[in-house]
Amino acid sequence: MIIFLRSGGKLRDKLKPDVDQYTKRVEVEGDKSLREILAEVGVPDSLVAFAFANGKLERLEYRPTDGDVITLQPPVSGG
Amino acid sequence: MPLSTDQQERYSRQTELIGWGVEGQERLLASRVFVAGVGGLGCAAAVYLAEAGIGELVVCDGDVVERSNLNRQFLYSRDNITEPKAVVAAAALRRLNPDITVTPMFAEIDTSTAVSLVEGSDLVLDCLDNPETRMILNRATIAAGIPMVYAAVAEYTGYLSFLSPPATPCLECFVDGTRPPVDPPVPGGTAGTLGSLEAVEALKFLTGTGTTLAGKLLIMDASIPRFDVVRVDRNPSCPACSRLG
Repeated sequence: MIIFLRSGGKLRDKLKPDVDQYTKRVEVEGDKSLREILAEVGVPDSLVAFAFANGKLERLEYRPTDGDVITLQPPVSGG
Repeated sequence: MPLSTDQQERYSRQTELIGWGVEGQERLLASRVFVAGVGGLGCAAAVYLAEAGIGELVVCDGDVVERSNLNRQFLYSRDNITEPKAVVAAAALRRLNPDITVTPMFAEIDTSTAVSLVEGSDLVLDCLDNPETRMILNRATIAAGIPMVYAAVAEYTGYLSFLSPPATPCLECFVDGTRPPVDPPVPGGTAGTLGSLEAVEALKFLTGTGTTLAGKLLIMDASIPRFDVVRVDRNPSCPACSRLG
């Protein structure tokens, strides 16, 4: 299946977008969690604070389905 | 207490809002809001709350003004460097609106002080700058039964939500508070935008107008630019709020 990972902030450096400036197309073999997919594309999960798909915040155990667009956001704690 | 003629004129541009009215303004003037942190977020939030006529505004910060604050913390100037932020901010806010009470608290928020600091408030604004203190504040608001507006910023990114467990998630349901604190670069506009939105959440809640971000997280990526609002569910095993049922 094909999913699309969108990245915010510093995550772009790690994700290496290829569809546009923010989005990477990822081919996923088999049933995998988002955490496993991130490891395969070289994004440490420690750099991901939030992941959301279909208008809902998801945990890294989320198992994407074909065509999902998943946005990844970095940890942010400043004030 | 009915609005004076001066107050009717001063607040007219907001009392004209549908659902706000004189009653909404009277609710604001009878409210107490605790602003935790008067940095980039807190300066913006506190200014809009003061101007809106929050009856008592408590501004709490244990830091002093530093030169590196001046790109975004607009309640301070070079003359204030080394002075307590809470004291300087309170004086500036009183000048903006002498109609209200502004109480400075030059204090650190920790596990021994947090509940007593926020008690008696109608709402708490999280304008802090580190995850550890945010989690302490989160637990204090749960213990005291006070809703909290959460915001955090770094670079061009900002997060915002309205928390009132058990009706909504608490902060610990969806934010990892164990990450090490960092001192990220923050353009003034990023912090100011999120701080202003915190004030908007507060005003909606206190006047009963509009719809808050309860159960939702606003994510701003101003570098694209893009705003998303996504649903956030409670974590049934949240160590902070699951006991609330």
